Amino acid sequence: MKILIVEDEKDFADSISQYLSDENYRCETANDFRTALDKIMMYQYDCILLDIMLPGGDGLKLLQEIQRLKKEDGVIIISAKDSLQDKIKGLQNGADDYLAKPFHLPELAARIYSVIRRKQFANNDLIHQNEITIGLQGKTVKVNGKEIALTKKEFDLLLYFVSNKNKVISKNALAEHLSGDFAEMMNSYDFVYAHIKNLKKKLTDAGYGNYLKTMYGTGYKWDI
Amino acid sequence: MTRLLNHSMSKMLIYAGIVLAVSIPVYYFAISFLWHYELNEHRIILTDAANREDRLFIIVTVTSLTVLFFALMLTGFIILNKKVSERIWQPFYQSLEKIKKFKLTDNEPVLFDNSGISEFNELNQSLQKLIAGNITSFKQQKEFAENASHELQTPLAIVQSKLDLILQTHSLTPEQYDIVEDALTALSRVTRINKNLLILTKIENNQYTETEQVNLSDLLEDTLSDFAPFISERQLTAEKKIDPDIHIEASRTLLEILINNLISNAIRHSKPDCQIFIHLAGKHFSIANTGDNSLDTEQLFRRFASASKHTPGTGLGLSIVDQICKHSAWVVKYNYHHNLHIFSVDF
Repeated sequence: MKILIVEDEKDFADSISQYLSDENYRCETANDFRTALDKIMMYQYDCILLDIMLPGGDGLKLLQEIQRLKKEDGVIIISAKDSLQDKIKGLQNGADDYLAKPFHLPELAARIYSVIRRKQFANNDLIHQNEITIGLQGKTVKVNGKEIALTKKEFDLLLYFVSNKNKVISKNALAEHLSGDFAEMMNSYDFVYAHIKNLKKKLTDAGYGNYLKTMYGTGYKWDI
Repeated sequence: MTRLLNHSMSKMLIYAGIVLAVSIPVYYFAISFLWHYELNEHRIILTDAANREDRLFIIVTVTSLTVLFFALMLTGFIILNKKVSERIWQPFYQSLEKIKKFKLTDNEPVLFDNSGISEFNELNQSLQKLIAGNITSFKQQKEFAENASHELQTPLAIVQSKLDLILQTHSLTPEQYDIVEDALTALSRVTRINKNLLILTKIENNQYTETEQVNLSDLLEDTLSDFAPFISERQLTAEKKIDPDIHIEASRTLLEILINNLISNAIRHSKPDCQIFIHLAGKHFSIANTGDNSLDTEQLFRRFASASKHTPGTGLGLSIVDQICKHSAWVVKYNYHHNLHIFSVDF
């Protein structure tokens, strides 16, 4: 999978690239408008991460260019702007998702994963991971062909882990992911642990390969 | 309190009264002197009775004429004073009216008309300069806050991403991992404070001007169901009495933030096994949670008044509520009654 990171902060682009670069993703970066435009015109990417505030031009213009060229690349806007209007404007211009800075890298990986799934596997919404089969549309999970019933949050968590396989995920990132706008409510992380405990129990009962590991006491890793 | 012109007029009237009163004996002596001179000239001798009668006649005539002129002067002064004060002081009252209407948050400079009178023009010019200076510094302050918040997002994102990356290194010890987690916790707090500061400056910068008809009842129910997991997690019960289909004209974003902040506030500051009361009747909303002591109403809505490292709150929630209410001309109140902290908003 090829990812283009359009971001003027080189440090930040490097972090993203370093996190995503494994056997699945190959990342390229563009630090300004011109380079980004050239790369978009010349190559095909599975997903473009687009900072809309760029030196040399408005990132939204790149988005319009992608639309004009009828390119199939998925686009996720990563922006320091967080207002509803900015989000709506980005999505109306053809972006597939919008993520406000700062965000956790696992969150970004999860968004990329789901954008690529939506774009390229439109007809096949099943994710296979060894004995686990996840149906995105119907939100169904099967282990060894046997369906298990997960709550919305547990299903969400499972997808989050699957799209961040072999990465250590902090309780902070999980809390942020689970609580979203209500992060201020997090007096403790009990909320996070409760959901993970339930998910793990259901998967273990169904006999999965025990991929969900606790790391260093408070972190987690989908080890596959 | 007397008006400026009445002040000078009463002094003038007293002076005119004294002059006229003094003029009565002067007129009397002058007229009786002339009268006796004429009588002597024509060798007319009057009886004592006639003499007394004449003297009385002169006194009455002089006094009544003086009183008549004084009355004329009085009414003339009052009418003139009114006219003059309306005319001369008109530019002053116009300027006064403009300054009264001026609000720093409106971001509009005050323009004074040319009054044609140099004193007032000078006053207006000075006022205009003063106000323009105020507007500029207010603008700069707002811009600074907004830019600073925006500019902080990127470095925050970089730090957060680097910490996420450290966690991926293989040789991490549990101690090192804990340090990173602690750093991430602090970082997410900074991020939230930054976001809230940005919301505050945006409200002050009037960036939420679009309003629409919002079904407040539905919004409340939806928000409460979003919060349901947190309410049950803390073993709280929500007692709600929400009238259906209450519509208000408001900025949806701001209304959502307001409701969110008030509910989250009530949940966060409740002890386990307590109740939260939520009422919406007409355009009156109130939310109450139990608490042992009344809060300091002076400090309550101030920024960072409640911030401490022991709570995950940003210390900005209530000042955002206050700011939203000011912006939307709603009234927010805090009361402590029967061990309940009650926040109410009149839309």
